[in-house]
Amino acid sequence: MDTIEQIATDPAEAEQGGAPVIAVEDLHKSFGSQHVLDGISLAVKRGETLAVLGRSGTGKSVLLRLIIGLETPDSGSVRIHGQAIAGLALDQLGEIRKKMGFLFQHAALYDSLTVEQNVAFPLQHHKKNMPKSEKADRVRQLLAEVGMEDALAKMPSDISGGMQKRVGLARALALEPDILLLDEPTAGLDPISAAEIDDLVLKLQQEHHMASIVVTHDLHSAKTIANRLALLNRGKVVIEGDFEELQKSDIEFVKEFLKHS
Amino acid sequence: MLSLEARYSLTRFGAKSLLPAAIVFSVIHETGPIITGLVVSGRVGAGIGAELASMKVTEQIDAIEASAVNPYRLLAATRILACILMLPLLTLAADCCGLVMGWITQFMVEPVSLHQFINAGFSGADFNDFLPPTFKTAVFGLIIGLIACFQGMRTQGGAAGVGRAATSSVVLSSLFVILADVVLVKLIILFFP
Repeated sequence: MDTIEQIATDPAEAEQGGAPVIAVEDLHKSFGSQHVLDGISLAVKRGETLAVLGRSGTGKSVLLRLIIGLETPDSGSVRIHGQAIAGLALDQLGEIRKKMGFLFQHAALYDSLTVEQNVAFPLQHHKKNMPKSEKADRVRQLLAEVGMEDALAKMPSDISGGMQKRVGLARALALEPDILLLDEPTAGLDPISAAEIDDLVLKLQQEHHMASIVVTHDLHSAKTIANRLALLNRGKVVIEGDFEELQKSDIEFVKEFLKHS
Repeated sequence: MLSLEARYSLTRFGAKSLLPAAIVFSVIHETGPIITGLVVSGRVGAGIGAELASMKVTEQIDAIEASAVNPYRLLAATRILACILMLPLLTLAADCCGLVMGWITQFMVEPVSLHQFINAGFSGADFNDFLPPTFKTAVFGLIIGLIACFQGMRTQGGAAGVGRAATSSVVLSSLFVILADVVLVKLIILFFP
């Protein structure tokens, strides 16, 4: 596993050499007396997709929220492109967040805006010099990429859960991020819609060559879209590796998880 | 109601002719501003509290933050500013409605033209009677906006949390509007005697 020490002084140069884009080191997080994360360390390089698996309530979503700075860790560090995000001012954190796309578990589309306005939201706020027509073209292109070009004028409440996730994905890609964080992209979807989302994530991953973390409890989905898998239990990483390594593992929890997946 | 009650009291003390002035003064000094403040607390406070709470529990506010946009600037600052600007204007509308209703009540008992009623009512009034009480409602707007946004954006716990945020927005903003009114009336009396 890559460690923080491997990150060189110049992040871009370092990443060319294989240094991690996302580096999480000894992360601890508690809510009251409940220790959700208990010393998590992970690293993801450019072009790589890491699937974080585990039972419900093991802190998978909390891990993503810590990486994007929506929660603050009790201890440990999160580094994005070599830059620690702890203690950053909101503006500095904003600059880092512009390089990150986040798909929420329930898509979290703005319910008072249309599909088109949802996808245009990041562009309206961060690409103020971009001409209106160019923004509109970009939104159409993003929606076309996720197969939602016909739903421009629809409200989020008028489209299905799977479609909402597609729109959420288009919104996450609006600023051309080099990091993509996906929280349960296939949860609550029927098998066909889930497979479509998996194919879509895989296609986007191949086209945009991002560093991605996918949180899921769907082993099939994880196998399809990830290069590596990390299995969490009680706030710790039990095992990290490719699917074959998980299959060969003698750890009881890993065997049990694979048996029931 | 004020007109009917005041009429009865003033008639008993032989000061019936002061009724228009009593209505005008009570409406522009206190009734108009405080009723506007309380109505806006109930309607707008609950609306802002519930809307932001709903956005919070559905992770829409997190999504704004994840998009590198400051949700406090985008959602709270704009609503607070709107409350500050709109309260004095709504107070003017409430004052006008109060005065017209006062005249109608007076007219039903003893025919008097609106012109005569207004002339008699405003005969002893100046800008100090009108401007400070009207503009004090900007402070009510600040209080309503701040409390409703705060209650909405710190919500937790799904639909029940949304309900709690709406209720606490109304209760707290109404309470603080009344408390602020006491302080502001004292200050107005001190600085605009």
